[in-house]
Amino acid sequence: MSEELRIGVYVCHCGTNIAGVVNVKDVVEYAKTLPNVVVAKEYVFMCSAPGQQIIKEDIKNFKLNRVVVAACSPSLHEPTFRTATAEGGLNPYLFEMANIREHCSWVHPDEKEVATTKAKLLVKMAVAKASLLEPLSEIKFKVNNTALIIGGGVSGLAAARDLAARGIKTYLIDRSPTLGGRAARLGKLTYTEMKGIDVFKGLIRDVAGNRLIDVYTNTELVSVDGSVGNFKVKLVKNPRYVDAKCNLCGECAKVCPVEVPDEFEFGMSKRKAIYLPFKDAYPRIYVIDMKSCTRCLECVKVCPVGAINLNEKPSELTINVGGIIVAAGYDPYEPKTGEYGYKLSNKVITLFQLERLLDSEGPTKGELIVNGVKPKNIVFVMCVGSLSTTPDAYPYCSRMCCSSTIKNALVLREKYPDTNIYIAYKDVRTYGRGDEQLYMKAGENFVRFAKFKDAPKINIDQKGNLSVTLFEETLQEEITIPTDLVVLVVGMTPPRDIDKVRTTIKIGCGPEGFLREAHLKLRPVETATDGVYLAGAVTGPKNIIESIASGSAAASRTLALLSKEEVAVEPLIAVVNEDICSGCAICVAMCPYGAISLKIIDKNIRVAKVDSALCKGCGTCAAACPSGAMQQYGFKDAQIKAQVIAAMGEV
Amino acid sequence: MSYLPKPVLVIGGGIAGIQAALDLADQGIQVYLVEKTPSIGGKMMQLDKTFPTLDCSACILTPKMVAVARHPNIKLLTYSEVIEVTGSAGNFNVKILKKPRYVDEEKCIGCGICFNKCPSKVPDEFNLGMSQRRAIYVPFPQAVPLKATIDKEHCIYFTKQRCRVCEKVCPTKAINYEQKPETIELNVASIVVATGYQLIDPTLAAQYGYGKYQNVYISLEFERLLSSTGPTGGEIVRRSDNKHPKNIAFIQCVCSRDVKINPNCSAFCCMASVKHSILAKEHLPNVDCTIFYMDLRAFGKGYQEFYNRAMREFGVKFMRGKPAKIEEEPETKNLIITYEDTFTGLKKTMTFDMVVLAVGVKPIYPEALKLPLSEDGYVQLKNQYLDPVLTMIDGVYTVGVAAGAKDIPDSVVQSGNAAIKASILAGGAQK
Amino acid sequence: MKEFRPRIVVFACNWCTYAALDLAGTSRMKYPTNFLVVKEMCSGRVDPQYVLEAFRRGADGVIVAGCHPGDCHYIEGNYKTLRRMTLLKKLLEEFGIEKERFRLEWISASEADRFVEVANEMYEKIKNLGPLKIEIEGGR
Repeated sequence: MSEELRIGVYVCHCGTNIAGVVNVKDVVEYAKTLPNVVVAKEYVFMCSAPGQQIIKEDIKNFKLNRVVVAACSPSLHEPTFRTATAEGGLNPYLFEMANIREHCSWVHPDEKEVATTKAKLLVKMAVAKASLLEPLSEIKFKVNNTALIIGGGVSGLAAARDLAARGIKTYLIDRSPTLGGRAARLGKLTYTEMKGIDVFKGLIRDVAGNRLIDVYTNTELVSVDGSVGNFKVKLVKNPRYVDAKCNLCGECAKVCPVEVPDEFEFGMSKRKAIYLPFKDAYPRIYVIDMKSCTRCLECVKVCPVGAINLNEKPSELTINVGGIIVAAGYDPYEPKTGEYGYKLSNKVITLFQLERLLDSEGPTKGELIVNGVKPKNIVFVMCVGSLSTTPDAYPYCSRMCCSSTIKNALVLREKYPDTNIYIAYKDVRTYGRGDEQLYMKAGENFVRFAKFKDAPKINIDQKGNLSVTLFEETLQEEITIPTDLVVLVVGMTPPRDIDKVRTTIKIGCGPEGFLREAHLKLRPVETATDGVYLAGAVTGPKNIIESIASGSAAASRTLALLSKEEVAVEPLIAVVNEDICSGCAICVAMCPYGAISLKIIDKNIRVAKVDSALCKGCGTCAAACPSGAMQQYGFKDAQIKAQVIAAMGEV
Repeated sequence: MSYLPKPVLVIGGGIAGIQAALDLADQGIQVYLVEKTPSIGGKMMQLDKTFPTLDCSACILTPKMVAVARHPNIKLLTYSEVIEVTGSAGNFNVKILKKPRYVDEEKCIGCGICFNKCPSKVPDEFNLGMSQRRAIYVPFPQAVPLKATIDKEHCIYFTKQRCRVCEKVCPTKAINYEQKPETIELNVASIVVATGYQLIDPTLAAQYGYGKYQNVYISLEFERLLSSTGPTGGEIVRRSDNKHPKNIAFIQCVCSRDVKINPNCSAFCCMASVKHSILAKEHLPNVDCTIFYMDLRAFGKGYQEFYNRAMREFGVKFMRGKPAKIEEEPETKNLIITYEDTFTGLKKTMTFDMVVLAVGVKPIYPEALKLPLSEDGYVQLKNQYLDPVLTMIDGVYTVGVAAGAKDIPDSVVQSGNAAIKASILAGGAQK
Repeated sequence: MKEFRPRIVVFACNWCTYAALDLAGTSRMKYPTNFLVVKEMCSGRVDPQYVLEAFRRGADGVIVAGCHPGDCHYIEGNYKTLRRMTLLKKLLEEFGIEKERFRLEWISASEADRFVEVANEMYEKIKNLGPLKIEIEGGR
């Protein structure tokens, strides 16, 4: 028994976004000629309340049983129109959308006639598919209300703090031996007497010992299965070789014979193979860097509490969580050897190294001493690694560096009033609150600014003397500034091995490698994958305040998910026609989720069976099925072929 | 959930307030969203497109507005203002004045018959006075709620005691001239202030002749010119002669980064002007666009790339320097810009058909809250690193431009930040 | 004579290529008309039959496009696509369908420019080849 098809087609003007190119009237008239279309209308904004009202009323008045809207991308308004369809009394999956804006009017602005033809074809395709749509209902799952946060820098810490404060059990993992990330290494911050480490301490106060937060350091992601509300996550905890008995006496480090550059100090001082990452590290337990350890066992012998075990093995653990926040941070841009004289002179340092030098707990106890002397003349070179200043540089702006440079210039000015400070810049982008005032203050305090367009050249003469040459744009002449220290203001880059995390969790990225938000403007902490959120600089350069705010914002979205008892997912999953399934099991091997098995229905007759809780709806089983018994709801063979056929022919 | 959290008050129905309300409501918290104008949507609703993706602003905003109206946990109070706040974190007593629309919200179906018949024409604030609305109106077609409001000051009945046309034509008898202001009292756990900004009076930068020269616009006006729902239906035409301009100048940092008027950087104008220049080229492929700037602050994700496209793909010219003054050619109404070429140090002039001023912003705060402010005119924060949205009053958070000039994504992030903080205070601690 | 405008069917996955086409739109990039998109959740859903069907019905070209290998939203759907389409390519050549008429492409959500490049290139090549010269059902 088949019902009579009654399709309504609605073509949106989207102001002039569509109507400025596509002849909407023509498309509507054309739609009326398509099979089973009983009504076709146009409206200026279909997504507005009156636009949706038209659909709802027509469903009743024209007894529609299918609805097609030709408008923008379904990624924007498919939910809107599905809801309107449902409110009109139809099953929401009897709705189909034709994308005549992103895929038509916006890309063919100069070809009005052919764009109109294309719009007609797109409508024809949508009507063809709509004719074959079936009513479906959403699948509901219980939500596991615990969260996983990957990355223990300030954004991850802020997220953990806030989720726990709302009673959410949270796992916080970091692959390094301590929490703190990069912000803990920064010196005095702008507009406050606080240092980076103080921010870390402020956050860790709420995280350490919190019964709702399980911290795993030295821990990495192995795999993620499941979906929104129910992720099964495998982790590997790498050995620390020192356990919680450690009383921080430091005897082990004293006897350790291995010295390596200390990464916390950006290699400007040395640490031992057994070490405490930094004074306020969390957990405050020594750790052995097995890559450098020689297994001489001196530390084991000297440890008064028997906390060291060199035979500790990695351990795997599995956790179940409802939502995941990726707060994997960033890496500073690492200039190539010779890029701006980097590594050719030890008087060329990065901004991050300067931060350490100016920190009272840093390698020089806060004194700016380079090569044993205090530099008189200092030149900051901005946009190193950013704004395509060199062939290796990224095209984007690293956002936080302008203010950070000016802040450091002011710290230097106050501490060493008789130094000469130059800032070579491309544009001064002090956009943040209070930053413009900082910029003005720098000018008032005789910090000199020199504007370049092409990257400055760092000259190192035979005696090792440094100078910086650039074409100064406001003077319109080449200038050379002799200097004792060059500070390379390096930008922020995606963490070097972010791809492993990214591909394990299935998150997209931009051309530069930063993770991709669900929507750049309005969904900045969400991803295209439901239940996976982003915090901090992993989506792009951010300062500490912005990172913390985004950590809290990611926690907020996560909480919105985890506050629910149930989550509904689209029912676009695989389905078997048992009558024609031969039980060949090709699909069983195809499924990446193990969602298909064989069941015996009668004596020796075996057919495929889909577990709807495991199926994620990719449809690869359906593509492989030799008999057509395996199909995917919403993407059945007949529906797709109907679209293909409709794409052809004259309109 | 097994607990009964206290409600939260969100003040301001722009994108920042909308996002905060939605986050809270999705977390199971009861939200009162108070908006002083007749519809939520805020400034973002007035934008044509957004940078750097050139998404249609209304298209991405309206789903959120509709979600607010539909959400069972959000009580929307439009055309309402907070008049008194007492108490402290976890226990604020709030008085809200619900102004009379003179239209029964329950009965009005937003059909529009009344405003088609209303004889009193008023400059339309949604289009910055560049078109007219009626004395009974909805501010824009996608308004939420889609309910008419009578603007008492311009209503012929209220000013001259005659007319009552709207009452006669209303099919649902929704007009009620006797409606009285209502005071609503609430007890809330915390308050999110998302009251946004106003543009600084562009006539303060008198050298640019805004208000004096017809073809000098401010950027929000230009935004409306670009919009198909704007006063010209999306045509970029000059006020003086309704003709398309052949060249347009965009001047940055008007009433910002200016010690005499406002020293703050307004953060989003550079990119807004880059966007305007690209959209102008899209509307009028032969138009010449020049942006006068001090520093082009393309700092956000995808912004530098957008700026590069404007230069390379769209041929937008970028001139460094802040123009000294604008003069008008009396016959043509064209505009002569005098500027110093910072690359040569020479004083030069250029003539344009149209000039668009990127005007700076200042925050708006609800007086009832008496928020302590900093020297820069923005709200003072207790600890901007550890709690970036907390004001000096515990339990009161600020987000969006009210907390410092910023773009949309940064506003949305702050909204999430404030939402979870407010949510924690709302007593949703344990389940 | 009417100008020959190749008609090309694009099978695009929801997560990468469909989003890239949306981005091409919001970025106001331009490419030739008559690329008609059929959305799937994953390129792994594309049954080689669909491609044959498209050519049989008169398509001048077909693109199957999805996420980059390793980036598949469904773990490894695109590897299956790769295998299926490699085989299909050989089959198409057997049928006398020029190889320029069928492309398998990996286009991520941020690579709108990549799609535009592929579209322009393919359009030009097919334009030079002219309409598909095999017997088709139902005419054009």
